[in-house]
Amino acid sequence: MVPGLANIFTSMGDYLYEGLIEQDRWLLLLKGLGNTVIIALFATLIGVVIGILVAVAKVAASQNRKLRWLGMLCDLYLTVIRGTPIVVQLLIMYFSLFAFITNAIPVAIITFGINSGAYVAEIVRSGIMAVDKGQTEAGRSLGLTQSMTMRYIVMPQAIKNILPALGNEFIALLKETSVAGYIALMDITSASNLIRGRTYNNAPLYVTALTYLVLVIGMTKALGYFERRMAKNDQR
Amino acid sequence: MISVKGLEKAFGTNLVLKGINEEIEKGEKVVIVGPSGSGKSTFLRCLNLLETPTKGEIWFEGQEITAPKCDINKLRQKMGMVFQHFNLFPHLTVAENITLAPIKLGLQKAEQAQETALRLLNRIGLSDKADAYPPQLSGGQKQRIAIVRALAMNPDVMLFDEPTSALDPEMVGEVLELMKELALEGMTMVVVTHEMGFAREVGTRVLFMDEGMILEQQKPDAFFANPQNPRLQDFLSKVL
Repeated sequence: MVPGLANIFTSMGDYLYEGLIEQDRWLLLLKGLGNTVIIALFATLIGVVIGILVAVAKVAASQNRKLRWLGMLCDLYLTVIRGTPIVVQLLIMYFSLFAFITNAIPVAIITFGINSGAYVAEIVRSGIMAVDKGQTEAGRSLGLTQSMTMRYIVMPQAIKNILPALGNEFIALLKETSVAGYIALMDITSASNLIRGRTYNNAPLYVTALTYLVLVIGMTKALGYFERRMAKNDQR
Repeated sequence: MISVKGLEKAFGTNLVLKGINEEIEKGEKVVIVGPSGSGKSTFLRCLNLLETPTKGEIWFEGQEITAPKCDINKLRQKMGMVFQHFNLFPHLTVAENITLAPIKLGLQKAEQAQETALRLLNRIGLSDKADAYPPQLSGGQKQRIAIVRALAMNPDVMLFDEPTSALDPEMVGEVLELMKELALEGMTMVVVTHEMGFAREVGTRVLFMDEGMILEQQKPDAFFANPQNPRLQDFLSKVL
């Protein structure tokens, strides 16, 4: 029998005890989980704000020749962020651009936020484009300004349509934060890897996987709830 | 009230409006007919700048709306528009559809706007639909609500872009009926339509457009009884 497997089957209790309870190792995991949640949560917020701004800017730029420079700026952002790996972005931000900030957590939040913003921007833009042009025309014909029409008429409908895609992005972002350990930061993944390195005990890795799974299932449920709520006016 | 001078509109190299001159006076009910692709809708949509003219001037109540410094949002408040596909806001209730613009533009307080909305809905017999969402309504109901949504802004002129073309036949009547009421109340109206009966009955003047030009305009009686332009004769022989 494979030793690792034997280990699991024969002394599961000892195994878990050593990996999680001994020397209060679960506290380390818990602290890591806290950081993971904080990074993912704030990065999501930043990502949504950047995403909406960039999407609106791109749509406005496509309709107004005077704003072409803004469209090009947005395209540059999207190309660079989506064209380079998140780990490389993280390293550049922590060791170069934000080298003056020693606390890695805010740097990670900013980096993941900027990264996610690029993906959210394209999702939101697709949502805006999918709203019938007649909606904008109806809003403008009532005398509403372009920004009022976007805010009160187009965006609410766009958000409703893109909710599933946004949910995907939020879930992907949560899991992506597992590379935050690259910049000397204790998220739940690097915490469990640290314990594994010290003890040769793999139990924390399984606990970590399970934790992500529970978080993602929770997010899926929450998103489903919002989708149902926003679909309330669809009943005919 | 509306004055159009040398209006041209091109989409790319396709010239859709080839120099239109037109005066529309207060209280007139101008009906525009013509074959599809003749530029009727484009002309109507130029009047409130949903389409930007390529050339020419449009004046509304003494202001040149084609001038770069013109505040078009302000002027649009006085020009109601009704669309072929209703364009109600599906994420808002019927009452919210009507009150959105008056409230957000600061013309009315929320309670006041709500009162106006209910009064308008009452008028068209749909006050029980105030809290319904547009997808729950029939086409005729949607279009009548779209009309009162425009009326809630207290416009000086109403533009209708084929308001009955997307409706099931049995719902055309209720929408035309409401438009007739408006006409009787003295509303200035510009209507693009295929409803010749409406043109004859309600119009004070009928314009025939083809290939981006106004080829003939007459009082309704003369327009239908004694058309001069051969293209109009041909058109009427097909639609009547």
